[in-house]
Amino acid sequence: MQTERSGIGAPDAAFPNMSEYILEMLNISKSFAGVEALKDVTLRCKPGLVYGLVGENGAGKSTLMKILAGAYRADAGEIVFKGQRRDQATTADIINSGISIIYQELALVPQMSVADNIFLGREPRHPLGILNLKQLYTRAGDLLARLGITLDLRLPVSELTIAQQQLVEIAKALSQNADLIVMDEPSAILAGDELDQLFSIIANLIEQGVTIIYISHRLEEVFRIADEVTVLKDGEVVAARPLAALDRPTLVELMVGRSLDEIFPQTQRERGELLLVAENIATDTILQDVSLEVYAGEILGIAGMVGSGRTELARALFGADALTSGHIKRIGKDDAAWSSPAQAIRAGLALVPEDRKRHGLFTALSVRINLTLPILSRLTRLGIVRRKAEERVVQAARERLSIVMSAPDQETQFLSGGNQQKVVLAKWLETAPDIIILDEPTRGVDVGAKFEIYKLMRQLNDRGIAIIMISSELPEIIGMSDRILVMNDGRVAGELTREEAGEARIIEMATRSERAHKPA
Amino acid sequence: MKLIQTYETGAGSSPWRLRKFVADYGVYIALAILLLAGALLTPKLYAVDTIAVVMRQASQLGIVAIGQTLILLVAGLDLSVSGVFIMTSVVMAEVGNGRDEMVIPAIATALALGGIVGLGNGWLVTKRRVPPFVATLGMLVLVKGATQAYTRGVPGGFVPEILGIVNRSWSFLSIPLILWLGLSAIFIFVLRGTAYGRRVYAVGSNIEAARLSGIPVDAIRISIYVLGSLFAVISGIVLTGYVLYVDRFIGSGLDLDSIAAAVVGGTAFTGGRGGLLGTIAGVLIIQILSTMVVLLGLDVEVQFIIKGLVILGAVTLYSVANADS
Repeated sequence: MQTERSGIGAPDAAFPNMSEYILEMLNISKSFAGVEALKDVTLRCKPGLVYGLVGENGAGKSTLMKILAGAYRADAGEIVFKGQRRDQATTADIINSGISIIYQELALVPQMSVADNIFLGREPRHPLGILNLKQLYTRAGDLLARLGITLDLRLPVSELTIAQQQLVEIAKALSQNADLIVMDEPSAILAGDELDQLFSIIANLIEQGVTIIYISHRLEEVFRIADEVTVLKDGEVVAARPLAALDRPTLVELMVGRSLDEIFPQTQRERGELLLVAENIATDTILQDVSLEVYAGEILGIAGMVGSGRTELARALFGADALTSGHIKRIGKDDAAWSSPAQAIRAGLALVPEDRKRHGLFTALSVRINLTLPILSRLTRLGIVRRKAEERVVQAARERLSIVMSAPDQETQFLSGGNQQKVVLAKWLETAPDIIILDEPTRGVDVGAKFEIYKLMRQLNDRGIAIIMISSELPEIIGMSDRILVMNDGRVAGELTREEAGEARIIEMATRSERAHKPA
Repeated sequence: MKLIQTYETGAGSSPWRLRKFVADYGVYIALAILLLAGALLTPKLYAVDTIAVVMRQASQLGIVAIGQTLILLVAGLDLSVSGVFIMTSVVMAEVGNGRDEMVIPAIATALALGGIVGLGNGWLVTKRRVPPFVATLGMLVLVKGATQAYTRGVPGGFVPEILGIVNRSWSFLSIPLILWLGLSAIFIFVLRGTAYGRRVYAVGSNIEAARLSGIPVDAIRISIYVLGSLFAVISGIVLTGYVLYVDRFIGSGLDLDSIAAAVVGGTAFTGGRGGLLGTIAGVLIIQILSTMVVLLGLDVEVQFIIKGLVILGAVTLYSVANADS
C-alpha cells in the first residue's frame, strides 16, 4: 500500500502551522475494481468548527468517511489526526483516538436501556468485572446533561423516538471522548423541531471544542450550521470554502452544474376524473378518520411531521394495514374495494415504500426477478415464466429509467441507492397503475436523481396517472403538489391548494394544537 | 443524457462477480476436489458397488433435502421430518398390513397424514407466528408421541413385500435414485422457471416487500411446509422399503443431515438464496465423505468430525461471500 507523501507538494502557504488542524486527510485516492471513487481528495478540519460535506450520491462522501473510520484502506494519501498518522488504523483504533461516526442506520441495541447503550462494551466495572451500575448511571446522566437533554436512562432504546435514539448515539460518541464527530445524513430521519434540537446540540458540542463533519444533501441545513463547506463531485473536491463565500445557487451549481429553478418541472394539464375516494378511514395505528379524494393526472402531496400518520395512510390506502373503520373505493373499474395489497394492485394502485431496503427491494435477488415480480401472471403461461417476454420487460425498464447495472442477473444489493430506487419504481410502473403512492420518493437521493424523479412524476401525470406523494421536504411538497393534505396526529389537519401553500402555513397546520382533540 | 451519468459511478464494479462466483460455484468446485481426492486416496470409491451404495444413501438423504431446501428458501426450517419418517413407516405397516395390493392406499394415507403435519407446521409459522425452529420441534415431538400412542410401542401389521422394489437396482441406477433426481429436476424447474418459484424466493428474501408486491405470502409459506413434509413421507417410504420393517430409529440423523446438505449446497439460513442444484452437490459431498471415511478404515467418529468441519467451512465461506456490500 502506498502511503508516501511523495505526491504531495509543499504545505499550503496559508496554513504553515500544520498543528492548527485536528484532522487532515491528504490526497486520498481509492478505486474499486478499476473505478476511481476518490481522486486526490484533501479535507482539513480545524478544531471546534462544523464542516459541511456535500455532494450527490456516488460523489464519494461515504467512501471518504469509511476510509476515515478505518473500514476501507485508501490506495494513496494519508490521514493525520491530532498530529498522528492514522491511515493504517483499525476501526477500534480510530474510535479510541477520538473519532466517532454516527451513521444513518443507528447502531443501538433496542432492548437495552439508554445508559447501557451509551456504555455498551465499555461499561464501568468494579474489580472482578462486576458492573458498576452507580457509575454507569451517573456518567450517562452527566453526558446527557452535557448535551442539555433529559432522557430516562433506564428506558429501553426501543421506546424512544428515532430522534431521541440519535441523541443516544451522540452521547455514546461523547462517552468515547470523541473530538471529532461525523454525522452521516443525520436529518434524514428527523423532522421540524427535532432538527432544531440537533442543531442546538451541535452548537453546544462546538462550544466544548468538538469538531463536526456534517454530511447532508439538504443544503438549507448546511447553510444553517456549517462554518466551512467541502463539495465533492465524482470523487473529487470541487470546492472547499468558508460558508460566507458561498450562496445557495453557487453551491447547487458546484454540486450538479445546474441552476435551482429547473428543479420542479410543471404541468399545464387540468386534473382529470375522480379515481379514488377514501371516507373516514382508520387503522389500528395512529391513523384516525381520514377522508380524501384522488383525481387523475394530479399530484396529491401529503405533508406532516414524522409520526403524523403519513406512512400509515399510505399503507391503509394500499390495503397493507386492515381498516378498522371507513372505506376506500376505486371510482370506475367496477368501483372496486380491497383489503390486501394484491387486491389493491389489481384495482390499479402501486406503493413505492419509504424504506427501500426493508419494504421495497429484494436485495438478494436479481434486478430481473425484482422487476417482474408483481406482473408475473402476465408473463407466464401455465405458471411457467416466458423468458423472452420477461427479457423484453427488463430491457425496456432498463432503458426507460436508465438503470445502471452490469447484467439483469445482478443482485440488487450491489446497485447504488439511486439505481435501487429506480428498480423499485420500474417494478411498479410495469403494473400499469392508475394511482401511485410515493412515500418519500427522494429520500437519500441526490439532487440530480431528484430531478429525474420529478420529471418522471410529471410524465406519469401527463399519461393521466394520479400520484400521492408523501414527503418531509417542504420545498418538494410545495413545488410538486397540485393539492396538499397536511397530516397532524393521525388526522387530516387541512387541505391547501398550491396557491395557498407556503412553508409557514404548512408547518403551522402540521404542528397546531397537537393532541388537543385527542380523547383522554 | 448527461444528467444521469453524473451520479452513477461504478455500478457493477464492486467485487460482486467474485463473490457471486464463490456463492454460486463453490460447492461444485468442492465436490470436484473431493472426487479427485477420492480417486487418489480411496480408488474403491469408483467401484460400481460403492457407487450404488453411495447413490442409494444419497437418494434417501436427497429426497428429504429437497423439502428442507424449499423450506430454508422461505427462511424456515423443518425439524419434524424424522417424526414423519416414523409415522410413514408405521402407516406402511398398519395400512399395508403385509398385503401388496394395500401399498397404494398405504402410500396415500402416509401422504395425507404428512400433508396434515406440513399444514400444521405452516399454520403455526404463519398464522401463529411461532418461530420455525420451535414450531417444527414441537411438531416432531407431537408426531412421534402420537405415533407411539397409536401403536402402544408395538406397531402392528407388516410392511408389504412389494415395497422392497426400492432395493432393485440396475448397475448403480435404482428407483430411489431416479426418484431423487427426477423430483430434483422437477423442482429445479419449478423454482427457476415458474411464477411460484419466483414467489418462493421473494418471500424468503424479503417477506414484507413480498406482501407489498401482492404476493400471498402466507399461502406460499404454508404450501412449502406441506411440500417439505410430503418429501419427508416419500423419503420415509423409501427408507421403510429398504429395511422392510418398522424401525423406531428409521432415518435418524437425516433431519439434521438434510439441513446440512442444503446449507453446504449454498442455501442460506436467512432465506431467499440458494437452490436445489447446490443441494444435490451438498448431499453428494456429505455422502461421499462418509463413504471415504469408511473406505479409509477410520473410526465412525471421524465421520462426524469431518462432517462438522465441512458444514462449518461451507457456512463460513458463504457468509463471507454473501455479506452485504
